[in-house]
Amino acid sequence: MKFTIYQESRPGKRPTNEDRIAYSYSRDTLMMVVADGMGGHLHGEVAAQIAVQYITEAFQREAHPQLKDPFLFLSGALNNAHHAILDYAADRFLPEAPRTTCVACIVQDSIAYWAHAGDSRLYAIRGGRILGVTRDHSRVQRMVEDGLITAEAAVHHPARNRIFSCLGGASPPQIDFSKKTPLMTGDVILLCTDGVWGPLPSDVIPRAMSTGNVLQATPALLNQAEARGGENADNLSMIAIRWEDSYAEDTLGSVSTKTMPVDSFTTQMEAFAKARKGAQPLPNLSDEDIERAIQEINAAIRKYSK
Amino acid sequence: MPPQANVPLPPGYQLNEYRIERQLSLGGFSIVYLAFDGEDAPVAIKEYLPNSLALRSQGDALPSIAEENVATFRYGMKCFFEEGRALAKISHPNVVRVQNFFRANETVYMVMHYERGRTLQEHIQKHKGEIRESFIRTIFSRLLNGLREVHTHKLLHLDIKPSNIYLRNDGTPVLIDFGAARQTLSLDTPLLKPMYTPGFAAPEQYNNIRRELLGPWTDIYSVGASMYACMAAAAPQAADQRLERDQLAAAVKRWPDKYSRHLLETVDWCMRLNYLERPQSVFALQKALADKARSVPRVTFLGGLRKRVRDLIK
Repeated sequence: MKFTIYQESRPGKRPTNEDRIAYSYSRDTLMMVVADGMGGHLHGEVAAQIAVQYITEAFQREAHPQLKDPFLFLSGALNNAHHAILDYAADRFLPEAPRTTCVACIVQDSIAYWAHAGDSRLYAIRGGRILGVTRDHSRVQRMVEDGLITAEAAVHHPARNRIFSCLGGASPPQIDFSKKTPLMTGDVILLCTDGVWGPLPSDVIPRAMSTGNVLQATPALLNQAEARGGENADNLSMIAIRWEDSYAEDTLGSVSTKTMPVDSFTTQMEAFAKARKGAQPLPNLSDEDIERAIQEINAAIRKYSK
Repeated sequence: MPPQANVPLPPGYQLNEYRIERQLSLGGFSIVYLAFDGEDAPVAIKEYLPNSLALRSQGDALPSIAEENVATFRYGMKCFFEEGRALAKISHPNVVRVQNFFRANETVYMVMHYERGRTLQEHIQKHKGEIRESFIRTIFSRLLNGLREVHTHKLLHLDIKPSNIYLRNDGTPVLIDFGAARQTLSLDTPLLKPMYTPGFAAPEQYNNIRRELLGPWTDIYSVGASMYACMAAAAPQAADQRLERDQLAAAVKRWPDKYSRHLLETVDWCMRLNYLERPQSVFALQKALADKARSVPRVTFLGGLRKRVRDLIK
């Protein structure tokens, strides 16, 4: 299995980042997940965190190194994540369970499988054209698809942010599944939150990915979406992969899992809010680091005092 | 929204063993207080409190730090530690002495020896245009002793300017405020970007700072600019503007009657835009200043006489 992957999450202009993203892969299987905690609901980021963490852990329990049935895995993982959020709320006597959107994708044997609840999207792109895309669980979006209102009208529709399926809600989530989608070299799979696709005209995302250079195109798309989001830009998160031919020459920055041990996983979870604008995560300074620095300085002061 | 100003701790506030007397200065990165220790000796306490990240409101001791700023706040603390580390190792009469470092109110504090006196900046303001050559030579030769000690410890000050040169009541200078200590330089963290004082920073400190270009010559540019400021009673043209269009009048041309040619040439030498053309070490500069020092009084004396005669004729 060989692919190039890039993920990034930004707070936009919001005080907190309620988006959570992660990917994990074994030798034979790749899993990616994006969750957008719902603001307005209590602890949106908690719901997103639980969903991403739960699904990643479930993947690591079951992919040894392959999943028996990727669709069954996705169904179980998303439904169980929903219940894990409800349990969290019940344990803490929260008046209302926190909620999150969720889109997750599995790639195994060069076939992609995905499932989603809410309005975080997955795009499968081939040669700059959309091969497949999730349908948002949003009445406004469905009205656009059915030709009842125009895309422009949807942008200003009062219910544009309302979704009818999510994890953690009062009713069980409606989860939609994709078809089995065989991937070819150069295909791009892209998962993102509405902070990314919302502000962008519909043709921008596939066009940006036509080069297949996800390492460059992903941050460029995020920049564009953030700029268009303006003063009120929502949290933006995106994971994108470019699928590679296993036998091709090494592409710069690509991951090859050929030599991975059967039972190992590589996981990348962006769980914590980053400083606004700082693209690089800052090295964390713990309480112990601070105490140590102070002790060192005081020792030096004593040593060099006459 | 521009960052708001932080509210300082109130007079009388007990901060560990120190009692706050009053605020001495307020910067974007920190607040400096005059305080007294348990034995009633005065100290200067610097509080790490970048106002873009942490805000203290009236009546509170603890600043409020937005969750997304916690990492950056802590990161900036590292730069503050860097300053403490740099100073802790230096014990020199012309470099500010750190006495203690501690943690309180969710931030960190650096306790420094408090000196009675004023900054060179204040001195320049008070004595506009009447600073004598002997004063400049005395202050800067001592200051260079301190700076040499700093460079010996493989540190650069990087923010030498008249307001960071403190004059004790006995007239001896102390180099203060090592807040720009090198760590801050190599990193691109916009919230904590160090503010250089235009006019005193060397050209290689502007824009895309290339770490390998910084050296003793960088501080030496600032020393030259500070001497120039003593003569002009104003900051010289900023180096980045000089790179575009150099309008800085050479000291040699500007004050030929007031200061010795030797001193003026030395100032111009320090302020060369090309760092390779400046004195390459503090020692080289000290040597240059000392070598011809003996011939200086005669020149100033004659120059002064000429000026007086001219004034009489007018």
